[in-house]
Amino acid sequence: MTTKTMASNVYGWMDERLGLSELAAVARKKTVPVHAQSFWYYWGGITLFLFMLQCFTGVLLLVYYRPGVEAYESVRQITFVMNFGWLIRSAHAWAANLMLFAILVHMFSVFFMKAYRKPREFGWLSGMVLLALAACFGFSGYLLPMDELSYFATKVGLQIPVAIPWIGPAIANMLRGGPDVTEFTVQRFFALHVVVLPALFIPLLAFHLWLVQRHGNAVPECEEAKPASERKSMPFMPNFLRKDIAMWIISLNVLALLASVFPWALGKPYDSLAPAPMGIHPEWYFMSPFEMLKMLGSVLPGEAGEIAGLLLFTLGIALWILIPFYDTSKESGRRGRTAHYFGLLAVCALVATTVIGYWTIR
Amino acid sequence: MNYPFWDIPYLGSGWVIGIIAIFHVMISQFAVGGGLYLPLAERKALREARNDWLAELVGYSKFFLILTGVFGTISGVGIWFAIGLTNPEATSTLIHNFVFGWAIEWVFFMVELATAAVYYYTWNKIDEKLHLVVGWVYAGASVCTLIIINGILTFMLTPGDTWLSVAGTGNEASKFWNAFFNPTYWPSLLLRACVCASLAGIWALISASRIDGHKQAALKSSLVKWSVKWLVPSFVAMPFLFAWYLYMVPASQRALLMLGIDTMGTGTFSTVTRMALVIVMTSATIIGVAYYLAYRNPTDFNTAHAVAILLLALMATGAGEYSREMLRKPYVIGRWMYSNGVRVPYAIRIDRDGYLAHSNWVWNGADTSYSRGEAIFRGECGACHTLNGYRPLAKLLAGRDRANIESFITMLHEYKPDSPYHHFMPPMVGTQQDVDDLTNFLNAHVNPPAPSGQKSVQTAEK
Repeated sequence: MTTKTMASNVYGWMDERLGLSELAAVARKKTVPVHAQSFWYYWGGITLFLFMLQCFTGVLLLVYYRPGVEAYESVRQITFVMNFGWLIRSAHAWAANLMLFAILVHMFSVFFMKAYRKPREFGWLSGMVLLALAACFGFSGYLLPMDELSYFATKVGLQIPVAIPWIGPAIANMLRGGPDVTEFTVQRFFALHVVVLPALFIPLLAFHLWLVQRHGNAVPECEEAKPASERKSMPFMPNFLRKDIAMWIISLNVLALLASVFPWALGKPYDSLAPAPMGIHPEWYFMSPFEMLKMLGSVLPGEAGEIAGLLLFTLGIALWILIPFYDTSKESGRRGRTAHYFGLLAVCALVATTVIGYWTIR
Repeated sequence: MNYPFWDIPYLGSGWVIGIIAIFHVMISQFAVGGGLYLPLAERKALREARNDWLAELVGYSKFFLILTGVFGTISGVGIWFAIGLTNPEATSTLIHNFVFGWAIEWVFFMVELATAAVYYYTWNKIDEKLHLVVGWVYAGASVCTLIIINGILTFMLTPGDTWLSVAGTGNEASKFWNAFFNPTYWPSLLLRACVCASLAGIWALISASRIDGHKQAALKSSLVKWSVKWLVPSFVAMPFLFAWYLYMVPASQRALLMLGIDTMGTGTFSTVTRMALVIVMTSATIIGVAYYLAYRNPTDFNTAHAVAILLLALMATGAGEYSREMLRKPYVIGRWMYSNGVRVPYAIRIDRDGYLAHSNWVWNGADTSYSRGEAIFRGECGACHTLNGYRPLAKLLAGRDRANIESFITMLHEYKPDSPYHHFMPPMVGTQQDVDDLTNFLNAHVNPPAPSGQKSVQTAEK
């Protein structure tokens, strides 16, 4: 019996019980539009791949990481003692940044392709929740090494919820497990990072992916305007899948290069009695709200400045989330254009405040 | 030491060579591989009467001529300028040892340039068989350039015991052939030959990807598939050739590969391990992407895919050359000359007389400890370190006070066999005065005197 007949026998046995050939038939029928903007279709998949990498490297780190009082020491051992511990940690840290970057590219490409319109509103909304959860992943994970940088960045970052009127300090207290960032905070963040957030993220991600399967890929308006005979497409299997996997492998290489050439450092252990180091700032994906708070804080006096900053940012996000109910279909005419300009404004504002944030680090 | 020091801020002069050389290798190794690719492809096209291939190959050869003839030559000459400025001591040794054996490269370069131009411009103008002969002449000249440069490069890593036994006696040229065909010569030649073949395939994929797969499916399919096959020798032979290459490297230097396994901390030299990981990762990806994307789906293979493979090849090449350079530490010529130009047996003389007595060009003569220390820093440390840029000493020594810096330099000066820095650092040579001067210089940068009126710390807290 050849390997081929053995393989097909195994396939047949599994197919009778799991209905694999039905799935394969669906996959074979599925097509992906081919046009000038098709490149952007890969970014959701890249995000998914990076998330899977995070799960893989995260589990490996989980084996050796000890939350609480020994957090720093366990990370020190991972980085400087265990074989290739530094590599897994660097890959995890870099992939977190790359994943957030990929999510933002994915989000903006969805926005500008107007893939939030009917019937894809749930896709947009679930995507926004996934973005928020990913940001929480980033924030909670950043504290876990408990070195100087992560301690102070978290301390500074938690000033943002404190600024929420009335309930802000209570929220911050709950996150911190007390008035200060301590080993209780790190245990709390660890639980969040490793249990709560994955438990929320994974089912929502499954829902998000199911919606993509159900509705297919959106096409830009200019492509929609073409008659069906002029529109090109490729089969999902094997053509798009092959290219998708190629993009994943290229992402893996970019990650490998970053993790090997710029391994993630470990600073000094935190000292809660020390002042914050000069120029402390959150990671790049939080730089924008951080800088907006700073900018408005210097224009308006005292708490008014912080509240104004928070309000502005919250308003912006709210408008962003609710865009499918404003620009509902291709018949929305002027609203479609307004939404487009709003998107451009959002990109420019985010990029500008992030750049200014880095420029003005003291 | 006997030469001025070429101070490139932030980057360091070594990286000037690195950037030019990595760029050069991408093109020059393509020149060798492509030199074989073109006549072989032409021969295949003529045998199989494939006029569509021949028409396509004319375009290839034009691209080939411009890329290798212009960028290859500029970057190659650029390497000459860069090495002479960066490490004149080592360059001097290489020239004294190999002079005409090396200069003969230029004969083959001239033949290459001439034949490449003739090959392109006489296409369809001269007899087919003669045209093919021109191609073969190019291929031969090109292979000779690789054969020669490989000798010089591998000599730097493993000069071999025979040459080392006559080094410094004035009779080095008597062991020319031993130096040329040194321990790592053959594995390196075969490794580079495989890379040349791979680069030929990869650059050919760039050209082939531009064919419209809908209009000329058969042409694109056949050319893409044939070009991918050029990657096969690498895939098959590389692991064995790498193992052979590493086996021929002295054990103390091979040990550098292991330093980065359990740590990436400062004070160790994990670079070689990390670069080796990049080589393995990117090489495996190239093979995978080339097979699944190009070979299995040639008509859909577009230029973006081809450029992605090229960039992966750039990463693999860059990492490979970088780790080869790092593997040589602490030497620039293995076991003969340290990276900073100090010859191994001369260290005793410098310890006796002082570093500056043997380095007239490096010091401006100002009689302050800081000025002397700066000269010693440039001469002894500047080959591999900058103060605030690449491998920055201000950061690497951060947190140490003056006494600590002094004991660190003293450790390097004493250079005991069990020192962990033995693997990748040369000894600090000179007198105790030199140790003090260097310490004062470094301390002035690591622990600068506090400015009066300190600025307040900015936080978001109120």
